Amino acid sequence: MAKMLEGRVAVVTGAGRGIGRAVALGLAEAGARVVVNDYGVDVHGEAPSTGPAFEVVGEICAQGGEAVANTDSVATWDGAARIIQTAIDHFGRLDILVTCAGILRDRMIFNMTEAEFDAVVAVHLKGTFCCIRHAAPIFRSQRSGRIITFSSGAGLFGNPGQSNYGAAKSGIGGLTKVVARDLGKYGVTCNAIAPVAATRMTLTEEFLRAREIRRQQGIVREERALARLEELKPEDVAPMVVFLASDHAANVNGQFFLVAGSSISLLSQPRPVKTIFKADDRWTLDELDAIVPQTLAEGLVNPAPPREG
Amino acid sequence: MGERLTGKVAVVTGAGRGIGREIAMLLAEEGAAVVVNDAGVNVDGTGGESTPAQTVVEAIRARGGQAVANYDNVADFQAAEQIIETAVREFGRIDILVNNAGILRDRMVFNLSEDDWDAVIAVHLKGTFNCTRHAAVRMRQQKAGRIISMSSTSGLYGNTGQANYGAAKDAIAGLTRVVARELGKYGVTVNAIAPAAQTRMIATIPSKAREIRAQRGVALPGQRVTELPPLRAEPGDVAPFVVYLATDAAKNINGQIFLVRGGLVALLNDPAPVRTITKNGRWSAEEIAQVFPLTLGMDLVNPAPAQPPAEASQ
Repeated sequence: MAKMLEGRVAVVTGAGRGIGRAVALGLAEAGARVVVNDYGVDVHGEAPSTGPAFEVVGEICAQGGEAVANTDSVATWDGAARIIQTAIDHFGRLDILVTCAGILRDRMIFNMTEAEFDAVVAVHLKGTFCCIRHAAPIFRSQRSGRIITFSSGAGLFGNPGQSNYGAAKSGIGGLTKVVARDLGKYGVTCNAIAPVAATRMTLTEEFLRAREIRRQQGIVREERALARLEELKPEDVAPMVVFLASDHAANVNGQFFLVAGSSISLLSQPRPVKTIFKADDRWTLDELDAIVPQTLAEGLVNPAPPREG
Repeated sequence: MGERLTGKVAVVTGAGRGIGREIAMLLAEEGAAVVVNDAGVNVDGTGGESTPAQTVVEAIRARGGQAVANYDNVADFQAAEQIIETAVREFGRIDILVNNAGILRDRMVFNLSEDDWDAVIAVHLKGTFNCTRHAAVRMRQQKAGRIISMSSTSGLYGNTGQANYGAAKDAIAGLTRVVARELGKYGVTVNAIAPAAQTRMIATIPSKAREIRAQRGVALPGQRVTELPPLRAEPGDVAPFVVYLATDAAKNINGQIFLVRGGLVALLNDPAPVRTITKNGRWSAEEIAQVFPLTLGMDLVNPAPAQPPAEASQ
C-alpha cells in the first residue's frame, strides 16, 4: 500500500517538542518530507536554541524519513517567510502546513501585563497568520494545499487564567474559517485541531494546582479530558493531522476537531440556537425586560456565578 | 428617559459614529454617565480628529444626559488606561465597558500585508484586551461590572477577505469566554455581540465581495440573494440589547455571544463536540480515513469547494 503522503512536503512549526514533534514524525512516517521548525524556546517563549529542531530531524532521518531543520521564529513576518522558503529550497515544493508553535504566559486578566498578552498573541495568532500568509500564494498557484492550525479548548470553552492564550487560540479559529473560504476554491483546505495532550506546556505545576482549584469550584467544562490529561499523549494527535493532510480529506474544509487521546470529535460551529424577532422595528428595553428571561436567557448557566462576601 | 442605569458610569469605545454612538446615546438615556471614546479615525484606522466624540457628547448633553469625550487610542495599553481613568476621574467609577472600537482593512489572505494584519489586530483585539484589562481591576474591587464586546460573524462564521478582522473578532469571542469565567465570581458579566448594521464600515466592503459571499451562502446574515427585502440593519438597532446586558436584569447572563441585527436577537451556541469517534488505543490515519465519511464527516459541507481554474481566477 502506498503511503498516504508519499511525495508531499510539509512544514510543521513548533515541531521540536510535544505535539509538533509527534506531528512531524507522523507526517514523515506517512511519507512526507518535513521541514521541522522550532525556535527552541522555553514554554514562556524565552531562551531560543537550535537543539530541538535538529533532534527531531535526526529522529526522522534515523527512521528512514527525510527532514530538514529550521529555527526561525514564526512570530516575525520574515522568519515565517524563511520557514516556508526552506521547504521550497530543500524539497522543491510545499503541500502541507501545520502550525503548532505556541507559548504560554498564564495570568488572571486583572494582573496580566501587556508583555504577557503581546508575546502569546504574537507567537500563536500572528505566527499562524504569517506562515499561512507565506504559504498561501504557493498553494493558490499550484491549486492544492493543506493547512492544519492549532486552536484550543482554552479559547473555545474559556479557561480562567488564559485570556491571552484563549484569545489567540480563538483568533486562530476565526482565521481558519476565513482562510478556508479564501483558499477553498483553489483546492486548498484549512482546518483546526483543538488538542488535549500531556506536554511540557500543559502538564505544569500551575496546571495541576489550577485543576485542583477548578475541580473544587466546578467551573471547568472539559473536566473529563483534563482529569486524565496524563494519559493523553501528543502522539495521539498526529493521525488526525495526517488524515487532514491527505487526499482523503480533500473536501473537509473550515472544520474544527477536538482530539484527546483516542477520542476525536467534530466541534460545532457557532450558530443561532434561540432567536427573538421583531419584523419592523428594534426592540425596546421594556420589551426585552419582558421577553428575554423566558426566551434567550432561559436555562442559561453563569459559568462563574458571583460568590458571597 | 429611563432609569435603569441611574448612577452607573459607562465607557463606550469607538462611540463617535455608527453602532457605538447609538449605544452611548441609549446608555445615557437610561441614566448612565458616559465616557464617549473615539479617536476619530477613518475606517482603515488612519487620521484622527476630535469631532465625532465631541458631537456625541453634545448630543447626549442636549438631551439632559451626562457625558464626556475621550480621544485616546484603545490599541495603546497606557492610553486605554486613560480611557478607563477618565470615567473614574469624571464620574467616580466604572460600571459598564462597551468595547466597540474597530477598523477594517479587507484583503484576501494571499495578498494581506503585515501592516494590514497588525493594524486590525491592534485596534480590535489588543484594544478590547487593553480596556478590559484596566476595567477588570476596578470591577473586581467593586464586585460589580458589565463588559460587552463586539465580535462579528466575520470570525464566528468566516467571511472571505477578512482574515485579519475575522481572526480579531473570533479572538474577542475567546477573550470574552475566558474573562467571563475569571470575573464572574466577582459579580462581573462579560458578553459579546456580533452586530450587523449598515455603517460606514460595511460600506467599505466591495459590493462584488458581498455578492460572492451571498452566492456562497456566507453572506452577512440576511444578505442572501432572495426576493424578500433584506432585514433592517440600522446601527441603532444594536443598542437596546447591549444596554439590556448592562442592566441588573441581565446579571446572570455571562460568557455568551449574541447576534443582533435589526429586530433579530439570537443566542449563539457554545462550541461543543457534536460527534465523537473513539477506539481502544491510538487511531491510525488509515482508520480515520475509513470511518470519517460515515461518522464525523457525514454531512460536512465545504464552504468553498475547489473550482475549475477559469472560474477561480475571476
